[in-house]
Amino acid sequence: MKELFPRKQVMGFIFSLVLTVAALLVYFLDLSFALGMTVLLVTAFLQAGLQLVVFMHAGESEDKATIYTNVYYGLIIALVTIFGTLLAMIWGMV
Amino acid sequence: MKIDHSQPLEYGTEQNKMNILGFWIFLGAEIMLFGTLFASYFTLENRIGSGPSGADIFEITPIIIETFLLLTSSFTIGLAIHAMRLGRQKAMLTFFGITLVLGLAFLSVEIYEFFHYVHVGAGLQTSAFSAILLTTLGTHGAHVTFGLLWGLGIILQIKKRGLTVETTNKSFIFSLYWHFLDVVWIFIFSFIYLKGLM
Amino acid sequence: MEFFERFAIPHPSPAIYASMVAIGLTVIAIIAGLTYFKKWGYIWREWLTTVDHKRIGIMYLISALLMLFRGGVDAIMMRSQLAVPGNTLLDAQHYNEIFTTHGIVMILFMAMPFIIALMNFVVPLQIGARDVAFPRLNALSFWLFFFAAMLFNISFVVGGSPDAGWTSYFPLAGNEHSPHVGTNYYMIAIQIAGLGTLMTGINFIVTILKMRAPGMTLMKMPMFTWSALITNVIIVFAFPVLTIALAMGTMDRLFGTHFFSIDNGGMDMLWANLFWVWGHPEVYILILPAFGIYSEVISTFARRNLYGYKSMVASMVIISLFSFLVWVHHFFTMGQGAFVNSIFSVTTMAIAVPTGIKIFNWLFTLWKGKIVMTTPMLYSMLFIPIFTIGGVTGVMLGMSAADYQYHNTMFLVAHFHLVIIPGVVFAMLAGLTYWWPKMFGFMLNERIGKWAAWLIAVGTCVAFFPMFISGLDGQARRMYTYSEATGFGFWNMLSFIGAGILAIGFVLIVYNIYYSTRYATRDIGADPWDARTLEWATHSPVPEYNFAITPEVNSSEALWDEKKKGHKLFKGSYQEIHMPSKSGVPFIMSAIFFVFGFAMIFSLWILAIVSLLGIFACLIHRSFEQDHGYHISVKEIEETEAKMGGAKG
Repeated sequence: MKELFPRKQVMGFIFSLVLTVAALLVYFLDLSFALGMTVLLVTAFLQAGLQLVVFMHAGESEDKATIYTNVYYGLIIALVTIFGTLLAMIWGMV
Repeated sequence: MKIDHSQPLEYGTEQNKMNILGFWIFLGAEIMLFGTLFASYFTLENRIGSGPSGADIFEITPIIIETFLLLTSSFTIGLAIHAMRLGRQKAMLTFFGITLVLGLAFLSVEIYEFFHYVHVGAGLQTSAFSAILLTTLGTHGAHVTFGLLWGLGIILQIKKRGLTVETTNKSFIFSLYWHFLDVVWIFIFSFIYLKGLM
Repeated sequence: MEFFERFAIPHPSPAIYASMVAIGLTVIAIIAGLTYFKKWGYIWREWLTTVDHKRIGIMYLISALLMLFRGGVDAIMMRSQLAVPGNTLLDAQHYNEIFTTHGIVMILFMAMPFIIALMNFVVPLQIGARDVAFPRLNALSFWLFFFAAMLFNISFVVGGSPDAGWTSYFPLAGNEHSPHVGTNYYMIAIQIAGLGTLMTGINFIVTILKMRAPGMTLMKMPMFTWSALITNVIIVFAFPVLTIALAMGTMDRLFGTHFFSIDNGGMDMLWANLFWVWGHPEVYILILPAFGIYSEVISTFARRNLYGYKSMVASMVIISLFSFLVWVHHFFTMGQGAFVNSIFSVTTMAIAVPTGIKIFNWLFTLWKGKIVMTTPMLYSMLFIPIFTIGGVTGVMLGMSAADYQYHNTMFLVAHFHLVIIPGVVFAMLAGLTYWWPKMFGFMLNERIGKWAAWLIAVGTCVAFFPMFISGLDGQARRMYTYSEATGFGFWNMLSFIGAGILAIGFVLIVYNIYYSTRYATRDIGADPWDARTLEWATHSPVPEYNFAITPEVNSSEALWDEKKKGHKLFKGSYQEIHMPSKSGVPFIMSAIFFVFGFAMIFSLWILAIVSLLGIFACLIHRSFEQDHGYHISVKEIEETEAKMGGAKG
């Protein structure tokens, strides 16, 4: 039975629960917008990285470099799209 | 067919390796797909017309339940893959089954949530905000629904054919998909719900 | 009867009735012909069910050429309408429909399949692979594109064509201002074609990364393969944006949402924004493979290795990132302030730098080369000056302050035609002529080919240079007529003459295909151009398994090394070759997609649900199917090789 629950994945799961609870503090405590967003950004990206490395085994195969390049590329372009859109559609409108 | 036994069975053939890499690249496209939805969501977030805003309609309880259901299912599909690599077919199928049940539970809560939104006056046609909210959640929900059908198909194939080069490959790719949906949900949870409620 | 009224054309004319008859007759002729010559079985076995990348490439090619003529006829009609002031050949509505379909057909149903055709045919051969990574998926990509193109084209005779421009900006494209189903065709047909393109993107990235011949490291890949890799990376990350934008547009039109409306919080500008987040990378999706083709052609016919290989690769990688950073320059006049416009002006001008590097690399490759002026080389030589003019005017448009003057005038129309035609169309024609012998086993006639190249180049200049002037004078694009007092008449007449010259050029290309099919010698060997890369190391036309023995490579010009430096490409003896099996499912599934699309366009919900279930049935069938392909035995390989004129290697 024990070998079915590898330590790494159990720890990963516990850590992801902790991160979720930490993110929920934003709701239950009265934080400023800037602080709240910081907490959310940190917990969300840690959580995503955790899934990627611990559960999705992103680094285990010979295509490790391709896989990470692909994910980072997607992430960068997605962020550029999100912030560029906000810049053009909301922040930059006069 | 040449099978390389120095690696887990799902990486056993060249075609298997290509399938896995191809799926990773598909996930790259999915990052962009959801990235675009988020870009649209943030743009339209405050454009509520005469309808309610996010803070008016979000309920924290179902959100927390959904989050824990999906997080746990992500953990159990990880355990299923681990059991698969140990060659423990029965344990693997149990974990796989639990994952799908958790996914179904998630979906049920989400459907409740949708009914709630429509009930409190945030339907698809209410405002730009309500439309992009339901579309973003709906796209994720549609992915989960598709995953449930796909996962069921894989379970049937494993029952019929055992853990082969093909079924392990499919299961591993399914696990990537399922973990990815969890990652997307984390971003929805953080930047749609919690940000809206803050 | 009420049910059928929705399929009527909202604004009919004799031309549309004539095309209905023509389409009907063509379909009958094709069916009758196939039946009479008993070719149904052949078509089904050899083409509709094929998963061979070479045949799929050829089918893409044929579709692209067909669409080139559809889009070309649109262009001729537009230029005829504008040739003289106050013309009444077309009315405003028809003119709107024609410029809309011209843009969509040329970009999405001509240029895209044309580059994908060449990628399909050439890339696996250039890297020494048997096929692509996912042959079945490749067939699905093609058929999705094909049925989407057909769906889009029937809009002309069933329900009415889209008329809100190829960019389909809201609120014009919304239900209020575009009440008939034309724009639904736009949303749904492009969505289906886009799905196919995304699959192509994934397929080719994996193919190029995982299936290269032994010894071919990334930095030893031929330049066309490099360009294909970068292009497909852009496809994978750009097309999901279009998917979402189209889905939102579809929901606005069919389900009454308020994404892009002007009430209830909707934001029409968001459509323009998302469209160009996809649209600008799309421009580079088209131009990078073209650059790859020019690199191959120039290096082959200058008889020199490509100058600055590493900087070529680096500039493409930079372009792939920058292409996602410039989209706002398509709508500088939409109201975002000077700050935002300045940022995107700078990124726009910056992207000219890697492009300039490539131009200089080609020039340095030509420097001291022993230039052989074949037809593909002629296209490349004509490309450089014309493209540079188009590119420089692009930098002018990229300056946001000046753009307020140029925006939406014929100046812009001149600019983008003068980059797309020499950039993409010349490259496609160069590539077509260059790889034609590999595809079909004979060469296109050089004399007719060069006539066509010159006519097309001259036609392009005559058709589009006048628009710079009339545009600066204030002629707006997309206006169906103008008065004599504007003084635009002379310039538009010149454009019309240019369009005529272009048309003659394209007709000559068709004639060349006919002429060469009939008269050209079939005895050309494997390497008629004295080329440098792997695809020329196997027979022409290529046997279904590509290479009897997997080649071993030590540089980006493996064949040249074999010819000049004594490198041995093919070592060892024949072995059994594993091949993917044929399948009719991609064809059937895409046909169901066609029905699904049609049902969505006309809001036939029951049909939509039924066809959606059909699509899922195909997916389930694929999932449960066990298919291990088949093997070609050593004996069969020996026989094929002997028949093709001696073993290679």
